[in-house]
Amino acid sequence: MPVDTRRVRGPEVSQSPLLFACKPAAVFSSHGPRADGRQRDQVDVRPVFVRCGLVSQAKGSAYMEAGDTKLMCCVYGPRETERKDDTDMKCGRLTTDMRFAPFSCPERGSWIQGSQDKDFSLMLHESLQPALCLHKYPRSQIEVNVMVLENSGSVLAHAVTCASLALADAGIEMYDLVLGCAIRQDGASYVVDPTYAEENGNGSDSSDNQGRLTLAFLPSLNQVSGLQSDGEMTEESLSAGVRTCIEGCYKIYPVIQQALAKAVRRAAPPPSES
Amino acid sequence: MAAGFKTADPLEYHRSFLKENCRPDGRELHEFRTTTVNIGSISTADGSALVKLGNTTVICGVKAELANPSVEATGKGFIVPNVDLPPLCSSQFRPGPPGEQAQAASQFMADIIESSEMLQMEDLCIERGKLCWSLYCDLICLDYDGNLLDACALTMLAALKNTRLPKVRVNGETGAPEVDLGKRRGLKIRRHPVAASFCIFDDSVLLVDPAAEEEQLATARLTVVTDEEGRLCGVHKPGGTPLSGERLQELIGRATVRQKEIHRLIDKVIKSIV
Amino acid sequence: MATVQVSEAEKVYILHGIRDDLRVDGRGCEDYRHMEIETDVVSNTDGSAKVSLGHTAVLVGIKAEIGKPRPMAPNEGYLEFFVDCSANATPEFEGRGGEELGKELSNTLYKVFNNKHSVDLKKLCISKGEHCWVLYVDVLLLQCDGNLYDAMSVAIKAALFSTKIPKVHISNDEEGGKEIELSDDPFDCMRLDVENVPCIVTLCKVGHRHVVDATLQEKACSVASLIISVTHKGTVTCVRKMGGGSLDPESIFEMTETGKRVGKALHVPLMKLLQQEESLGTRQKVGFLG
Repeated sequence: MPVDTRRVRGPEVSQSPLLFACKPAAVFSSHGPRADGRQRDQVDVRPVFVRCGLVSQAKGSAYMEAGDTKLMCCVYGPRETERKDDTDMKCGRLTTDMRFAPFSCPERGSWIQGSQDKDFSLMLHESLQPALCLHKYPRSQIEVNVMVLENSGSVLAHAVTCASLALADAGIEMYDLVLGCAIRQDGASYVVDPTYAEENGNGSDSSDNQGRLTLAFLPSLNQVSGLQSDGEMTEESLSAGVRTCIEGCYKIYPVIQQALAKAVRRAAPPPSES
Repeated sequence: MAAGFKTADPLEYHRSFLKENCRPDGRELHEFRTTTVNIGSISTADGSALVKLGNTTVICGVKAELANPSVEATGKGFIVPNVDLPPLCSSQFRPGPPGEQAQAASQFMADIIESSEMLQMEDLCIERGKLCWSLYCDLICLDYDGNLLDACALTMLAALKNTRLPKVRVNGETGAPEVDLGKRRGLKIRRHPVAASFCIFDDSVLLVDPAAEEEQLATARLTVVTDEEGRLCGVHKPGGTPLSGERLQELIGRATVRQKEIHRLIDKVIKSIV
Repeated sequence: MATVQVSEAEKVYILHGIRDDLRVDGRGCEDYRHMEIETDVVSNTDGSAKVSLGHTAVLVGIKAEIGKPRPMAPNEGYLEFFVDCSANATPEFEGRGGEELGKELSNTLYKVFNNKHSVDLKKLCISKGEHCWVLYVDVLLLQCDGNLYDAMSVAIKAALFSTKIPKVHISNDEEGGKEIELSDDPFDCMRLDVENVPCIVTLCKVGHRHVVDATLQEKACSVASLIISVTHKGTVTCVRKMGGGSLDPESIFEMTETGKRVGKALHVPLMKLLQQEESLGTRQKVGFLG
C-alpha cells in the first residue's frame, strides 16, 4: 500500500462512529413541519448572514452562513494566466476550486479532493462564467476558491451566491450578481433550501417523484446561468421547481445587495467623513 | 507615496519603521497581535475552534473515528494533526498535495502533542488491543498573514479542549462497538502548550509575532513552545542567523509570559461557553 | 471538449437555417442523425455495445465483478462509471488532455443513474452486507463529432441490455462460513431490466431556437446547452446546463418539454431494435469498420 509521506500517519483504517450508533439518527419525514420549523411547500429559505472582505490576503472575499451551512470564498486576480497554450487569449480565464473541509460533513471527508468536489467546482464555473465580463481581462486569469466549513445542505447554491459576492468585492466587472437556490422534491411536496438531512434523506418510499434541483440565477437580467438536477422528477415538477428556485433567489437578493453596499461604503468612505 | 515606497523597497520601508522602534502595523517590537478564540462553531465536528491572530485565521475541526490500535502500542489511541494551506488563504499557495510549509507545520503539531504530553494516548483507548479512538485534527488556514505555527498550535489546543467524544462500549457477545451519540464527555487535557514565534530582522532586531511580510524579509525565524509549568516543549529554528544563548533565554522568558496570557484567554473562552 | 473554428459568415448561415427549421445537413430541429447500434462487440466483457451517431462513435464495455456493498446500502450493488477519451478521437485528448472531459462525463453519468429505478440495484446484491455485483461501465470515445452525451447514454443502455451476469449460488460449509459458487453453464445467467434506463437528450440553444443532436459546427454557434436525461415514461433523472452562456427561464421550460418529447420517442425504436437484434441469435458481426 502506498504511504502518504506528506502527512502525519494515522491508523490504516478507521470508521465513523455513526456506523455503530445504537439509535439511528432522526430520519427525514416527508410530512408535517420541517425539523427547523420552516414551512413545507413554500419559498421558505433560511435567513442568510453574509459579510464581505474578511480575508486580508485576497483581492476579494466573502463569508456566508445559511442555517448551519458555512462557507467562505476568496478571489485572486486578475493575474497573468498560467496556461500558455490557451488559444483564445482575447478573453480572460476563470478558474474555480471548491473544497470541503474534512470536518464539514457528518462523516469525515478525505484530505484529497474527490471527484464530487471537482464536479462542484465545474458547476460553480458554469454558473459564474455567464455573469463575468471576461473579455475585459485579456491574457489573465481570475481564481475563485471556495471552502465549505460546514455542510448543512444546499452547498452548491450558497457557494454560487458567496462566490459572486466575493467577485464583486474583488472589483471584477460583472453583468450581474449570481444567486443560487436549491429545492428538494419529495413526492407531491417540496422543501426549499434543504438541510443536509432533508437533502440526503430517503423521503417517502413509494413515491417516484424524488429529486434535487439547484439553480443559479442572474436576477436583474432574468437569466438562468446554472441548472443541475438529479433523482427522478416529472417534467411538470421540474418546471415548477425552476420557478420556485427563482423566487427563492429573489428572497435573498436584498440581503446580498445590502452586504455589498456595506462593503463598498467601508472601502471608500465618502469624502466628507475623512 | 507610502504604498509606492513599500512596494519598491519593502526592506528599506520596514527598516525606517524599526529605526523608530515600531512596526508598519503600529505595533511595538515585542507586541503580539490581537488574539481571539472562538470555539464550538462547527456542529459537524466533535470539537472545533477558530483563532484569529491579527489577520491570520486558522480553523480546526476534530473528528473522532474508531480504529484498531497498532500492534506496537495496544493500549494507545491515535491523534493525527494535519495542516492545510489551501490556495484560498494566500496567493502564494497552489492547489494540490501539501507543500513543504504545510508538511513542516503538520509535523510540528505532531511533535508538540507528543513532547508536551498534553493528551495521554492511553485515554484514547477504548478496549486494549481491540478498539481505540483516532482523533483527526484538521487545521485549515483561511487567511495567511504570517505566524502560522502560533495560530495552529493555539487552534489545535482550543479545539481539543472543546472536543467531546461519544460514549462507546464493546458488545461482549458480538465484539462490535456500540456508540451512544447522545452521551458525550470531554477529553482530559493535561498540559497547555503554547507556541510563541519570533523573527530576526537584519541579523539583529528581534520581532515578536511576525506578519507575512515581516516573515519574508526576516533573516531568521524561531518558535518556542512552553507549557504552564514553564517547561520547554519544543524549539523550532529553521536555519538563518545564529542566535546567542542569552538571547534564546530571553525569548523563552517571553514565551512563558505569552503562555500564561493564552492559557487565561482559553479558560475564559471555555467558561463563557459552558 | 473537441471544438471547431467557425467563421462569422458560416455562423450566420447556420443560424438562419435553424431559424427556418432547416439545418445544414438537411435535418429539422428535432431530428437525430443516422444512428447505428451493435451489441456484443467485445467478447471479453459481460456486456458491450458500439454506437455511432453521425461521425461520433462510442464503445461501452461492462464488466461485472464481485465486491463489497457500500456501508450505507448493504443490500444493493452499485455501478461505477469511467469515461476514457481516447487520443484517437481527437489530438486534443493526447496525454492528459482528455482527462477533464472524461471526469465531467462520468460525473454526469453518476448523476443520471442516481435514483432508485434506473437499474434495480437490489438485484445486484448477492448476500447482504457481504457480497454484491459491481458493474464497471467503461465508456471509450472513439470519434467526436458532437453530441457525446446522447451517443454515450444510448450505448450504455444497449450495453446494459446485453449484459449477462453469471448466476451465483451461496452454500454454507461445515464451519458456518459461506462459499460462493459461480455457475459453470454460460447460459445460466441473470439479465438486467433496462426498461427504466434513461437516455440523455442534449439540446443546444442556437439563436432563439434549440436543436437536438448538434454537430460540432452547430455547437460552435451556441452559447449554452441543456442536457436532459429522460426515461421511457418521460421522467427526468438529470438536468444540467452546459457551456459558458445563460438561458432565460422561458427557454428552459421549452427545452425541457422538447427534451421529454424527444427522449420518450427515442426509447421506443431503441428497445425494439435491441430486442430484434437479440432474437436474431448468433449473427454475422459487423465489427468496427463495417
